Amino acid sequence: MYNYTAFDKDFVTTRAEQFRDQVQRRIDGSLTEDEFRPQRLMNGLYLLLHAYMLRVAIPYGTLNSRQMRALADIADRWDKGYAHFSTRQNVQFHWPKLQDVPDILKALAAVDMHAIQTSGACIRSVTADHFAGATADELADPRPTAELVRQWSTDHPEFAFLPRKFKVAVTGSLHDRAVTKFHDIGLRLVQNANGAPGYEVSVGGGLGRTPMIGQVLRDFLYQADLLPYLEAILQVYNQIGRRDNKYKARIKITLHEHGLEDIRQRVEANFALQRGRFNGADQDILTRIEADFRPPAFKSASIHHFEAQRAQDPFFKAFTNTNLHPHKNPDYAIVTVSLKAHGATPGDAGSAQMRALADIAARWSHNELRVSHEQNIVLPHVHKADLPEVYESLRLAGLATANIGLISDLIACPGMDYCDLATARSTNVAQGIAQKFDALKREHIIGPLKLKISGCINACGHHHVGHIGILGLEKGGIESYQITLGGDGTENAAIGKRIGPGFSADEIVPAIERLIRAYLAHRQTADEAFLTTYRRLGPAPFKAAVYPEKEPKNEL
Amino acid sequence: MSFENPNLSRSAHVAALNKRFKNTDTVDMLREIMADPGFGKLALVSSFGADSVVLLDMVANINRALPIIFIDTEMLFHQTLTYQRKLAKDLGLQDMRRILPAREAVLERDFDNLMHRSDTAACCALRKTEPLARALAEFGGWISGRKRYQGGARAAMELFELDAEQRIKINPLAHWSREDLAAYITAHGLPRHPLVTKGYKSIGCASCTTPSGTVENERAGRWRGQNKTECGIHIGEAARSVIVTDEGFTDEDWADGFHSFDTMPTQESPALAIDLQSDFSAEDLLPWIAKIDLIRVDFPVFSDGRGFSLACQLRLLGFVGRLRAKGHIVADQYAMARRSGFDEIEIDHALARRQPERVWQTCANWRARDYQNLLRQSA
Repeated sequence: MYNYTAFDKDFVTTRAEQFRDQVQRRIDGSLTEDEFRPQRLMNGLYLLLHAYMLRVAIPYGTLNSRQMRALADIADRWDKGYAHFSTRQNVQFHWPKLQDVPDILKALAAVDMHAIQTSGACIRSVTADHFAGATADELADPRPTAELVRQWSTDHPEFAFLPRKFKVAVTGSLHDRAVTKFHDIGLRLVQNANGAPGYEVSVGGGLGRTPMIGQVLRDFLYQADLLPYLEAILQVYNQIGRRDNKYKARIKITLHEHGLEDIRQRVEANFALQRGRFNGADQDILTRIEADFRPPAFKSASIHHFEAQRAQDPFFKAFTNTNLHPHKNPDYAIVTVSLKAHGATPGDAGSAQMRALADIAARWSHNELRVSHEQNIVLPHVHKADLPEVYESLRLAGLATANIGLISDLIACPGMDYCDLATARSTNVAQGIAQKFDALKREHIIGPLKLKISGCINACGHHHVGHIGILGLEKGGIESYQITLGGDGTENAAIGKRIGPGFSADEIVPAIERLIRAYLAHRQTADEAFLTTYRRLGPAPFKAAVYPEKEPKNEL
Repeated sequence: MSFENPNLSRSAHVAALNKRFKNTDTVDMLREIMADPGFGKLALVSSFGADSVVLLDMVANINRALPIIFIDTEMLFHQTLTYQRKLAKDLGLQDMRRILPAREAVLERDFDNLMHRSDTAACCALRKTEPLARALAEFGGWISGRKRYQGGARAAMELFELDAEQRIKINPLAHWSREDLAAYITAHGLPRHPLVTKGYKSIGCASCTTPSGTVENERAGRWRGQNKTECGIHIGEAARSVIVTDEGFTDEDWADGFHSFDTMPTQESPALAIDLQSDFSAEDLLPWIAKIDLIRVDFPVFSDGRGFSLACQLRLLGFVGRLRAKGHIVADQYAMARRSGFDEIEIDHALARRQPERVWQTCANWRARDYQNLLRQSA
């Protein structure tokens, strides 16, 4: 893991003190609320429906046991004893008081954490593959690049007041778990024909009310050119991105309106100027960062115990069937811990659970944890021989739900329960679906399925990339839930398509059940996943099942 | 989730007006503006001097009831007073307001009427600036007859500006030449100020005005021998701004005015400063970049970060002169501005009062904790 330098420590500590001063100046009136807003947003502090919300950065989703314990302490001391792990690999506290926030930031700084640039119209906290450095299908570790981008984008003087927020994601794997095609900039670690390391750079992806798939701006960029190239993209965007309409201000719209070729010419011309500003110091820093991300010292031990336990304990077997992912060391496994216990709010964890996770990671996962954008926690390096003990510890903490990748491992935004933008509830639908399929005991039969729920058009629940997406809207004062099908956030990026009119809160869970029954009836084998069946057959049989009696009405 | 809402600021409004009326006929523009309730109550401020009759005639033809403010400093030429009464009668001005300095203030500060000999600035303040400020208090905007060809700070004047009180100030004749004025006066058969034929091209108080030579600047006869070209009523924002540097607050030290990109002088200028809007494309300046001494970039609202990138680009393109950010910038942005290439920041008095020098000084250490510099090692 990345080790904070004295420079990094000084930065986050001082930043917390600066925010204390800004809060003071807001209270004494020398900062107006308008002027204070971007300052607090750039320190992760939102004003939501009921209260302030503090979003803490977990850069590229990586944290250690000590940091997880600090988060649990914050939850107990300044919040209501729990935290929410978000779809952007961050963690959110929903009930802090404004005057406590400087103390929370100080507590974070003490464990090399911060809330910098987790909101606001700036370059947001960078995300990456949550299995980075562990997964068997990896070409190169994306974390050093992500850390380099974190440092470069932190407090960047030009880009704190962009037209809108700006998100960067990095992947180094064949299978894109970082959803790079739906980010403002997506970086894929690749090699050119000569084996030189570099990046494929995509721009203009995004979800929200105008979902778009990112387009490749450069198919190969030398590793050493990354920062000047990012400077160029951001400088072009900062100057020509629209500021007259917040719904048209993301770079995806800039790209759409100017065209890929125009943007490419502007960026390349700018890049030629920017290159001269870098003399290799950034690459020396990258080399130092890479050293921090060397794999831990993996142990050698027999995995016999693991196999024996699987044969003996059907619950353990079910857990290992769904919650493990192949590790680059075949004796190891990557364990995903579900924060989607059936009926619970997706992504929420209590402070006791957070401490249990910290202890388990310290003992059995080389002190390391990850937060996935699917709102789960990952133990990246667990020796298979230790899995029975890990499972038992998770079970005691109420964290052994065996549903990773299944229908109840769904993503949902907070919806109207917390968010002032939401137009419908989403967690109630999430709980309804999870409980329904748990009661039917069919989700293991249904198999891999990504279901994602957003409570408004801004799409924080990523419904556009759900195999099944649900969008909650308000129509004439009542909640209406629309279904989209066929979305995919991976390397085969696709945006889900709406299949017809919406359903009321009472009707949506039965509609999803009809949809799933249709899939089970139409799949060719038990191994054919929902998305594969959908791609083979198109929407017709699913529409017929969802709207059984009448033809689909005109769209509302 | 939470969105910025950058309201159109007053300076952005002014920029939009300048764009909108750039090519509009002066009378048409006046007619539109005088009918637009969006400006609030308007007044024309006139000295009844050498060329004042042009604007007075135009305005009277549109609406004789428009309030006309005339500042009688009690030091004017008697010819000016006679001329003022004649014009008011000839043009049928219905709301003529002759404004005098405050009686008690004059008795207290200039009882012998000789202050102009020892301190012209204080005299102008007492007899012109302060009375005008009181007279304008009820108005949302005002019309002035200044022209760019008069030189000095007027050379770079726009059609629309903001004064120190954030009122819109309209300069309908900004782009008129001396010949244009003479032609209008002849064509409309208007009476001239009697002193014009005696060589006075710009007429203020009798105590401080002399005739101007034929090759001199038109206003050279005003405050002759002093480094003063304006009485104070037209020194709006610029001179009353505060300049923020690493050392703290200082006063404006640039006295040569600012051009817009469109009004850049064609010939070589010994001291050239230009104003750029934040959406300006830096490459367009490339042919002039070595000739400019000072570039001032407008920040219409603090949440518009384009100016930071514009500054960076100007530096990348080789601009080595003074670079100033002007407008709505808060102390917390000081480090960003300095790191992006700005040397200084110009803020108005209202902002300086709200965010005093000590607040800016806490942000003055802009080199500390700079990740980008670390990655570039360019220190």
